[in-house]
Amino acid sequence: MKSVKKFFALCLSLLMVFTLTACSQESGGGSSDDPSQKTVKIGVLVSDTTSAEALAFKAYYEKYIQSVYNVEFMYSDELKDASAEQSAIDNFIANNCQAIISFASADRPAQIEKCESEGIYYAVATGTLTDEQYEKYKGYAHYVGAIGPDLAAEYQAGYDMAKHFLDQGYTKFGMFTGASVYYTEMHIYRAAGMLAAMCEAGKGTYEGAEGMAIVGKIMGEGGNVNPGKIGSVEVNGVVAGYDFDDAWYGKLTAVANDPNVEVLLAVGSGQVAFAGFKPEGKMLGDIDCYTADSVGLMEKGTLNYLAGKFSASIGPVFAATLSAVYGKPVRDNDGNALALSQGYWVADNAEDAKKYYEVDSSTTEPAYTKEMLDTLIGASYDDFAKFVAAYSFEEIQK
Amino acid sequence: MKKELREKLLSAAPLAGMILLGILFLVFALIKDINIPYSMKNILNQSIITMVVATGAVYIYTLGAFDISLGASMCVSALVGAMAYNRTGSVAVMLGVCVGCAVLISLTSSLLASVFNLPVFVTTIAMLSLLNALVLVLIKANGTGDVIQIPAEAVSKLNTVGFKLLVFLLFFGLCVLTFNFMKLGRQEKFVGGNPLCAQLSGLNAKKLSVIGFVMAGLGVGLGAFLTITYAPTLSRNTAGSIGMDVIISIVFGGMPVSGGARSRIYSAAIGALSMTLLSQIMLMLNLNSGIGQMVKAAIFILVVFVSMLNNRKTILPR
Amino acid sequence: MKNGKKLAGTLAIPVIVFAACLLISSAQGIVLFDSLLSWTTFVRAAANTVLVTFALSINLNSGRFDFSIGSIALLSSVISSMITLKTGAGPLAMLVLSVFFGCLLGLLSGLLYVTVKLPPIIVSLAVALFYEGFAFTLTGGHGVTLAGNAEILGFGTIPNYLLVILTALVFMVIVYDHTRFGYEYKALLSGQKVSVSTGINEVKNAVLCYVIAGGLMGAQGFISATNNGSITMALNFGSISVMFLAFLPMFVGGFIGRFTNDKLGYLLGALSMAVISLIYVRLNVSSSYQQIISAVLMVSFLIYLNNEGRLKQIFRH
Repeated sequence: MKSVKKFFALCLSLLMVFTLTACSQESGGGSSDDPSQKTVKIGVLVSDTTSAEALAFKAYYEKYIQSVYNVEFMYSDELKDASAEQSAIDNFIANNCQAIISFASADRPAQIEKCESEGIYYAVATGTLTDEQYEKYKGYAHYVGAIGPDLAAEYQAGYDMAKHFLDQGYTKFGMFTGASVYYTEMHIYRAAGMLAAMCEAGKGTYEGAEGMAIVGKIMGEGGNVNPGKIGSVEVNGVVAGYDFDDAWYGKLTAVANDPNVEVLLAVGSGQVAFAGFKPEGKMLGDIDCYTADSVGLMEKGTLNYLAGKFSASIGPVFAATLSAVYGKPVRDNDGNALALSQGYWVADNAEDAKKYYEVDSSTTEPAYTKEMLDTLIGASYDDFAKFVAAYSFEEIQK
Repeated sequence: MKKELREKLLSAAPLAGMILLGILFLVFALIKDINIPYSMKNILNQSIITMVVATGAVYIYTLGAFDISLGASMCVSALVGAMAYNRTGSVAVMLGVCVGCAVLISLTSSLLASVFNLPVFVTTIAMLSLLNALVLVLIKANGTGDVIQIPAEAVSKLNTVGFKLLVFLLFFGLCVLTFNFMKLGRQEKFVGGNPLCAQLSGLNAKKLSVIGFVMAGLGVGLGAFLTITYAPTLSRNTAGSIGMDVIISIVFGGMPVSGGARSRIYSAAIGALSMTLLSQIMLMLNLNSGIGQMVKAAIFILVVFVSMLNNRKTILPR
Repeated sequence: MKNGKKLAGTLAIPVIVFAACLLISSAQGIVLFDSLLSWTTFVRAAANTVLVTFALSINLNSGRFDFSIGSIALLSSVISSMITLKTGAGPLAMLVLSVFFGCLLGLLSGLLYVTVKLPPIIVSLAVALFYEGFAFTLTGGHGVTLAGNAEILGFGTIPNYLLVILTALVFMVIVYDHTRFGYEYKALLSGQKVSVSTGINEVKNAVLCYVIAGGLMGAQGFISATNNGSITMALNFGSISVMFLAFLPMFVGGFIGRFTNDKLGYLLGALSMAVISLIYVRLNVSSSYQQIISAVLMVSFLIYLNNEGRLKQIFRH
């Protein structure tokens, strides 16, 4: 038994030493004055490490951007609260990161303030700041800006998805509103967009509200969407949250199998929430991203509409950040930081989804290549804005 | 003589482990050319909250008990503390409420256990459930979306390593005094090591359990206060990882989870610092999340294995 | 104890819980078991809960706290589903593979425990971290999607769930109540030192316990995967939450176990939890209220359980 113990201890020690030394390759660096010759370390704050979208974004940065630019990305752990975000920023600063790109939003103002006070560049990769926040931070020297779907774009994505099915004559819906109950604005706006489209088609209101006013209604209800009639349209079941327990799955199954539901609409994670329970013949629409699984589901007819973020959509925010690190920050005429919105790639058939996925998952020729992003380094605000605005698949392919 | 020396050497293993991790950290820091002064500050910053909470929790572990609800308790205390600040505008009131609330929760746990004859561990499972529910109720009642926050300016002056270190040292000093130099520590170890014998010797295990929980509550309350000073935006996820961090730190620091005579008040601090050092090394190596976690698990078991080599029994530990 | 009293003690909690749920739902104008779907939801929840309860109780009753059971369910279902999807095998093969890999992972966990001789809680923390990391690495973090695979998802029927429940129950009763291994397990449970002194091989017994718990969690991972249509990854102890599913049924089962076989008690406890899950579904109870209700139920039950004698005295006077 003693020898077994010794052997075990030896194995573990060797494993530790081997792993640590094997991983200790130094990142390359240069000594020239040309900024692009020096490896730029960029910290990435993430609040999610396992969703398809988060993994696709990470793959674009680590497998493509890191291979064509002299940069090194350093990812945080999954950040669940503001305190974890502060710790992660401290870690990045300690590791000499020159910039931080954020996908975490527990406390964005605190992130911006911290980066400004520590003198490192900071950019928001998904979502945007509120108007008030932008007014406060747009002049900060180290605030690069925010590029990603703004809340109006999220609302529109929800609206377009619901309208797609309403236009086909469907009137009975089931909804998954995800993190709306945790007051995640992105999901609340998407859900509000869906309900707004139903109000228009059904010639009714959602509990007395229509259009953007529905956002306030949902907020007032603790982030909950209530089932009910909207004129001639019916919302016959709603599930929210991410409990992953028997009751949660039971609720999803019940809504998916409700005979009074023709179409299932998800503000995100629809492939996790509904795809496993949906009987044949029902429609499913989701706002997420393009993956091999989502393409497979579209081919099988399980998923019928997908508004997806494309992984390279975070290319411009990287270019803006790198440009700032190189001493060429992109600012408007008044010296304000970037605030640009992007939209989604929408597929309502397997062919389109496949076409998008092929480009999106490529690690050699992604949607935004180095050649395209290079045009953004040191670009003017207007040129940058024009580039970001042309986000559709066709425009990018041109 | 040889055995004594071996025992002494092995009991110093956690400290040696921490020093080794410190050296490894410095080696990698030099290779990777990282900002060492900032890193040192960062390591202290990130360890202190766990050090404070885990040091208090040593009192519970010494009794051979185990509290799974510490994270939830800290979250509730921080939320109530922040709400108190928003009502009064006083940081002192916030500190008092954080500590008071955490001690109250601890007292409830220990009283539930002693009044209703529930096993301590079972009580803390039930408390975890209750406190998690209370977190949701508090956030909803506050009516500010999914967060409760106080203005960053209110606590920015306290968000320094010096202040946090001062809080830790004061609390640590109190714990060392009561644990090592007063009969409380000896009695707790006695009860943890041999409850029956302790009872026959006239020790009141229930009273000692209540005192142990109060000390743990003090640590949780101070931890909640320091959390607010570090990040004044609180949510249902606040302190979500502290429960596991405390267990790991205590074990990493060489303290047996069964409590008793081998319990050491400094184990928690050594363990928390070691864990942070290990995390920093993993970060420098920029390991993939999955692989990083596997390596972390291997190192954790290795260090604990070495540090507990002198604590082996013929039967399997439980 | 008389048979009537035994029967009453055995059925009291499940009957009270069922009756209360039926009453509450009918007061709300809702039929609790209104369709096949409701029954499926109920039986599936029961299957999930009973498997986790059995797995947790095996080691917890022996004083071995095991944080790793959730990670075993995760990793075993990931490996089995990847093989199944690659080979095009059916759900039965996936179930067998899941149980096999669950046993294997349990074996590794058990061997680690008896080799390093550290408290099980510590070993299980390391094992949970390792298995979570391994599952993440294996799938590149993406998890596994089974949605759209009608054959595998088709497993989720009432007869199949009942078969799993029944098999698990019969297996547990035979192994723990009618074999030498089971007798030794009970001996170790009530007197570890004495049992070891009398020549019982504790190491073998403990390792086998881990193997069995692993196998049960493999089956639970399979049921979750085939029901949900996907396996999502967990890191940083994200997998331990499944363990909390089992505490209340374990306590309820412990109470019922005074009147009948304790495994049957766990099953009845799981059925009681499953009907509570169903009422959450049927009444669309929000997650926060669910947490509050579950917490209050647990505390009240534990207080009752540990003060039964006192309460009886009070009511006698």
